[in-house]
Amino acid sequence: MNFTGQVAVVTGGATGIGRAIVLKLADKGAAVMIADINEEAAEVTAAEVAEISGSSSAFTTDVTNVAACEGLAQATIDSVGPADFLINNAGIAGSPGWQTRSHSTEDDWKLTYHVNVIGMSNVTSAFQQQMIKRRSGRIVNLASVAGREGRPSLSHYSASKAAVISLTQSTALELARFNITVNAICPGLLWTPMWEQVGDRYAHDVPAYEGMTPRQVFDTMIAEKIPMQKEQTPEDVADAVAFFVSDDAKNITGQALNVDGGFYMR
Amino acid sequence: MYLTMDFEGKTAVVTGGARGIGRGIALELAALGSNVVIADMAEESAREVVAEIKAGGTRSYYCETDVTQQWSTDDMVEAALEEYGQLDVLVNNAGVGGSSGFTTRKKPLVEDWQATFDVNVYGMVNGTQSVEKYMVDRGYGKIVNISSISGRVGRSGFASYAASKAAAINVSQAWAYKLASHGINVNAVCPGLIWTPLWQDIAKWRKATDEQNAGMTPRQIFQQTVSESVPLGREQTPEDIGKAVAFLASDRARSITGQALNVDGGIRMN
Ligand SMILES: NC(=O)c1ccc[n+]([C@@H]2O[C@H](COP(=O)([O-])OP(=O)(O)OC[C@H]3O[C@@H](n4cnc5c(N)ncnc54)[C@H](O)[C@@H]3O)[C@@H](O)[C@H]2O)c1
Ligand SMILES: NC(=O)c1ccc[n+]([C@@H]2O[C@H](COP(=O)([O-])OP(=O)(O)OC[C@H]3O[C@@H](n4cnc5c(N)ncnc54)[C@H](O)[C@@H]3O)[C@@H](O)[C@H]2O)c1
Repeated sequence: MNFTGQVAVVTGGATGIGRAIVLKLADKGAAVMIADINEEAAEVTAAEVAEISGSSSAFTTDVTNVAACEGLAQATIDSVGPADFLINNAGIAGSPGWQTRSHSTEDDWKLTYHVNVIGMSNVTSAFQQQMIKRRSGRIVNLASVAGREGRPSLSHYSASKAAVISLTQSTALELARFNITVNAICPGLLWTPMWEQVGDRYAHDVPAYEGMTPRQVFDTMIAEKIPMQKEQTPEDVADAVAFFVSDDAKNITGQALNVDGGFYMR
Repeated sequence: MYLTMDFEGKTAVVTGGARGIGRGIALELAALGSNVVIADMAEESAREVVAEIKAGGTRSYYCETDVTQQWSTDDMVEAALEEYGQLDVLVNNAGVGGSSGFTTRKKPLVEDWQATFDVNVYGMVNGTQSVEKYMVDRGYGKIVNISSISGRVGRSGFASYAASKAAAINVSQAWAYKLASHGINVNAVCPGLIWTPLWQDIAKWRKATDEQNAGMTPRQIFQQTVSESVPLGREQTPEDIGKAVAFLASDRARSITGQALNVDGGIRMN
C-alpha cells in the first residue's frame, strides 16, 4: 500500500484512535495534517510523524469553529497541498465532568452534538470544494457501535453517533457525482482516553458496574459483549481507514463498517 | 496506490471461482500471494482461471465441486489440505439466480426457490461446515461469504434470489458468533451491479418479463439499471469485490467479524 504523494487530514489526530490513523497513513507515505484542539498533544504526535516520514504538520483546530475549519482547509493547501483524504475523527463523549454525573445534561447533549456532528459537517464543508475541483476524494467519518443501537447512560453520545451514520449517508449521496466516497467506521470497545471516561460514567450510573474501576468496566464489557473476546485497538481502526481511502475501495460509498469484534452485526 | 496485502504462503478456496465475481476474487487473492483452489463445476472456464493464476506465479488447481453436497465440500477441503498443507481462507461465492430456465419465467417456480436456497444458502453452510473443524483446531481462519445488496431489503420481483441472499447474511452472522472465540472471522460482501454471466441472465429475465425492457439488449438493461441506481454513476467490477474480499480475509480486518459490507457504489447504505 502506497499513499506517497497523497495528502491526508485527520481531525482529533493527536491522541487515541486519531493518532493511530495519523501514524498508519504517514507510515504508508501520505503527508498528514493533524488537526486537533489539543495543541500540546498534537505537537507530540507530529514529532512522531516526523520520525517516520521526515515531515509533519499540526494545525490547532476546534472543529466547532467554522472559521477555524476554513483556516485549516486553507493551511492544508498552503503547506502540503489539497486534501485527498479527510478523516473526521474528532469526538467527545460529553461536556466537562460528564463522566462523574449520573444523567445527561443539556450541555452534554449540546456539546456532544456540536463536536461530533456539526463539527464533522463544518470540516467536511471546508474541504469539499478542494475535492470537488479535482473530482476525487475520500472521506472517512468515525461513528461508533453506540450509533447502531441506543446505549444506556450514553443517550446523548449514542444519538450523536447515529447522526454521524446518517450524515455519512447524506454526504455520500451529495458527493458521489464528484467521485468522492464517504464512509463511516463504527469502532467497538477501545481503551483510549475517551473510554476511560465512559468506564467512569458506567461505574457511576449502571448498577451492574457499580464500584468498578474504568478498566474493570471495560474488561467486563469485553467479556460480556464481544464475541471475539478481545478489545479492539486504534490500529484495527486505522487499518480499516487505510482500506477505505485506498483505491481498493473506490466503489464503496455510504457504508458504515463495524470494527468491533462482532459486538454488533448488521 | 493499491493496498498490498500479504497472502504469501497462504491458501484460499474460492467456490464458484471459474468465472465472474469468483474469478475476480481468485485472481486478486493470487495477486497478493495466495495459492488458490478453484472449486466449481464449470471445468473449462475453471481451468482457464487456474492457468491465469499459475502464470502469475502462485499455485492453483481446479477442484470439481458441487457446493450443494456436503460430501463434495468435504472432499474440496480435504484435497486442499492435502495439496497445500494448510487452508487459511474460504470464500463461499458460488451462486445461482434460479433453476435452469428461470430467465424466461415471470414468476419463480418452487424449483427456483429450491435451487437458490440449495446453492446460495446450503452451499455456504456446507462449505463452512467442511472447513470449520480444521479452522477451530488451528485457532485461525477467514471465511468470506458473497451475499448481495438484494439481500438487504425485500422488493417485488426476483424474491426467491433476494431471500436466499438475505439468508446468506444471516448465516454469516450465525457462524461469526459461533467461531468468534476461535480466532476465525466470518464476514459477507454484498456486491451491487456487476456485469457477469449471472447478471446477463438477470437481464434476460427482465427482458422476457418486463415490457419496458423488451426492446433493449441485456447490456442496455444493465447499463440503464446502473445509471438509475448507482450514486457513484458506474458499474462495480469483479476486481472491486476481489479487493473487498482480500481486505476482509486479511489480518488487517482482524477485529471485524459478522459484518456485511456493501460494495455497490452507494446503492444501498448500511
Ligand atoms: N474509544 C472507543 O472505544 C471508541 C469507540 C467508538 C467510537 N469512538 C470514536 O472514535 C473517535 C476517536 O476517539 P478516541 O477514543 O480516540 O478519543 P480521544 O478522546 O482519545 O481522542 C479524541 C481527540 O479529538 C480531539 N478533539 C476533541 N474535541 C475536539 C474539537 N472540538 N476540535 C478538534 N479536536 C477535538 C481531542 O483533543 C482528542 O485528541 C471519536 O469520534 C470517538 O467518538 C471511540
Ligand atoms: N453479478 C452481480 O451483479 C452480483 C451481485 C450481487 C451478488 N452476486 C453474487 O456473487 C456470486 C457470484 O456471482 P457471478 O455474478 O459471478 O455469477 P456467475 O454465474 O458468473 O458465476 C457463478 C459461478 O458459480 C458456479 N456454481 C454455480 N453453482 C455451483 C455449485 N452448485 N457448486 C459449485 N459451483 C457452482 C458457476 O459454475 C459459476 O462459475 C453469486 O453468489 C452471486 O449471487 C452477483
